[in-house]
Amino acid sequence: MTTQTAIFRIDGVTKSYGGVKALDAVTLEAGVNEYLSLLGPSGSGKTTLLRVIAGFEVPDSGRVFFQGRDITNLPAHERGIGFVFQNFALFPHLTVRQNVAFGMAHGAVSVSAEDTAQRTQAVIDMVGLTGMEDRGVDQISGGQRQRVALARTLVMQPKLVLLDEPLGALDANLRGRMRNELRAIREKMGVTFLHVTGSETEALAMGDSVVVLDRGRIIQRGAPDDIYSTPASPDVAHFLNRFNLFDGKLSGGTFTGPFGTIAAPQATRASRDVCAIRYDRLQVLPLSATPTGPALKATYIANEYLGSAVMNFFETADGKVVEVEHHLSLGAPQTFEPRQDYLLTWAADQAIVFGREGK
Amino acid sequence: MSDATVATKRQGPSWLILPGIVWMALFMVIPIAMICYVSFWTQTTFNISSTPTLASWKQFFASDTYTGALWTTVRIWLIVLATTFIIGYPTALFVGLFVKSKTLSTVLLVICVIPFWTSFLIRVLAWRPMLGKEGAINIILLKLHIISQPIEVLLFTELSVIIGMSQIYCVFMVGPIAFMLGRIDRNIIEAARDLGAGFGRIFWKIIFPLSLPGVVVGAIFVSVMVLGEFATSGALSGRKVNLLGNIIVTQVGSLKWAMASVTGVILTVVMGMVIAAFLRIVDLKQEL
Repeated sequence: MTTQTAIFRIDGVTKSYGGVKALDAVTLEAGVNEYLSLLGPSGSGKTTLLRVIAGFEVPDSGRVFFQGRDITNLPAHERGIGFVFQNFALFPHLTVRQNVAFGMAHGAVSVSAEDTAQRTQAVIDMVGLTGMEDRGVDQISGGQRQRVALARTLVMQPKLVLLDEPLGALDANLRGRMRNELRAIREKMGVTFLHVTGSETEALAMGDSVVVLDRGRIIQRGAPDDIYSTPASPDVAHFLNRFNLFDGKLSGGTFTGPFGTIAAPQATRASRDVCAIRYDRLQVLPLSATPTGPALKATYIANEYLGSAVMNFFETADGKVVEVEHHLSLGAPQTFEPRQDYLLTWAADQAIVFGREGK
Repeated sequence: MSDATVATKRQGPSWLILPGIVWMALFMVIPIAMICYVSFWTQTTFNISSTPTLASWKQFFASDTYTGALWTTVRIWLIVLATTFIIGYPTALFVGLFVKSKTLSTVLLVICVIPFWTSFLIRVLAWRPMLGKEGAINIILLKLHIISQPIEVLLFTELSVIIGMSQIYCVFMVGPIAFMLGRIDRNIIEAARDLGAGFGRIFWKIIFPLSLPGVVVGAIFVSVMVLGEFATSGALSGRKVNLLGNIIVTQVGSLKWAMASVTGVILTVVMGMVIAAFLRIVDLKQEL
């Protein structure tokens, strides 16, 4: 991506709170009309990153650019960047219509009363709040408040919208629906969304590209399927919450772990030696079977029914819990005896190996 | 109908309300009824009888002293209300909104309350050595050569009553406003900034409307106390400023129970109207 098509770019931004680095030399850019999702555990600095871009926080060092202009020292209300808050932050004393119209009625750019009314109505219709215009914001449901928050930001026609865990306050059912709506609305408006989330499924489902943030640093950026199939580090694999991670030792193209020694010709360079195997790549065999690939003895503990899949939990000799996912579209699940030992096996090429000796 | 059933279920056993009813009856309903009743009694110089008459009421509205006291009360109330608001609101804004640490804002509120550690009368009388002709303010201004003659209007005038009352009651304005401001979600202010509003717009469109319940509660506190005042005006005006409260004190002192009752009823009615007017501004049931 070149700088010409980038809508915003942050360059080596560092921000500390009381000696703790919330952001450590972060450099990131996003293109026009792109959906970027930012995944990170709590405390990774993702909200701080959004607040720096929005102008609520001044970075200790580094620059922030928006539409090719350096906005590092520009106050928030002159930036023209939309921000959707986690708790929606609606104006409690105003109606839905007044909330949506606020930016046009009281913002830096003056908009005529006619235009304000017309644009307000258009965006209210777009987010599906027609008929609710004169309700107070405490008289509508959580999903509707989310839409008001979105409408209030979008009506200002920003080129960049920052969303801080926008679906975090909604229940699971609504979250799924709002995901689709967010994507649809974004495509209709042609703006860039930077969506911060702590949920790996949300990040993968929504972003055109996903940025993984950990302890104030960007540790991977890529398309959702790339991140999912080739995590760049054990930490990324851990945040994706889809991998069993085994500590071991990488040496001379082989990885030695609790399951013995396996060939690891394609190992990725990382700060520690870890072998990652996806939950759904593991197979369970009886102890008597002779596996073709590497295998690990483990005790069955319990399972969890997820609707479309069953999660089986096993415990290895050293007390580590291993998760095995069986997708129900692949046939009826196996049944296991609690406290019985089984062999967990996988195809050798399915393991992703990280290590200090990797490439 | 269903609302009523739900309400009774939620309220629990109804006898719990009994102590409240007894208390209110003994200390509010009966005394007020008595004052109303006594205001129609017949007063002679040395005696009072329960023969009903309108004489005291007629005398109140015919006399410049009494009606004058009514207007003085209203005027001083409005001025003190305005000064406590003008001084109190910015203070509350600082304590409740601009101070980010909750601990510091609590400490600042406690500091506002420190004058209350001494008795009310001492706080009032302490203004005399401050405001007097040879008081602290005049001495300082003279030493700084800002004035060449002591300012005499500072003490024993309406001004000194207003200064004294403003100082004493200001904290009752600060407290409720600071409380409401402290409850405002900071994200709301950031959201307004993000939508392009500058500080002035954010203040008038977001912060002030959201603090209005606090302003109303503070104004009710100050109004009720100022309207019923007699000590500050007695101590700082040199008997030149007569409020309804002072009239009641004087009448009771000379055993003119009927006239004291008339004044009491009028004062109660004024207070009732003031509170009702404030409550119309904001629906406190909903806001608090």
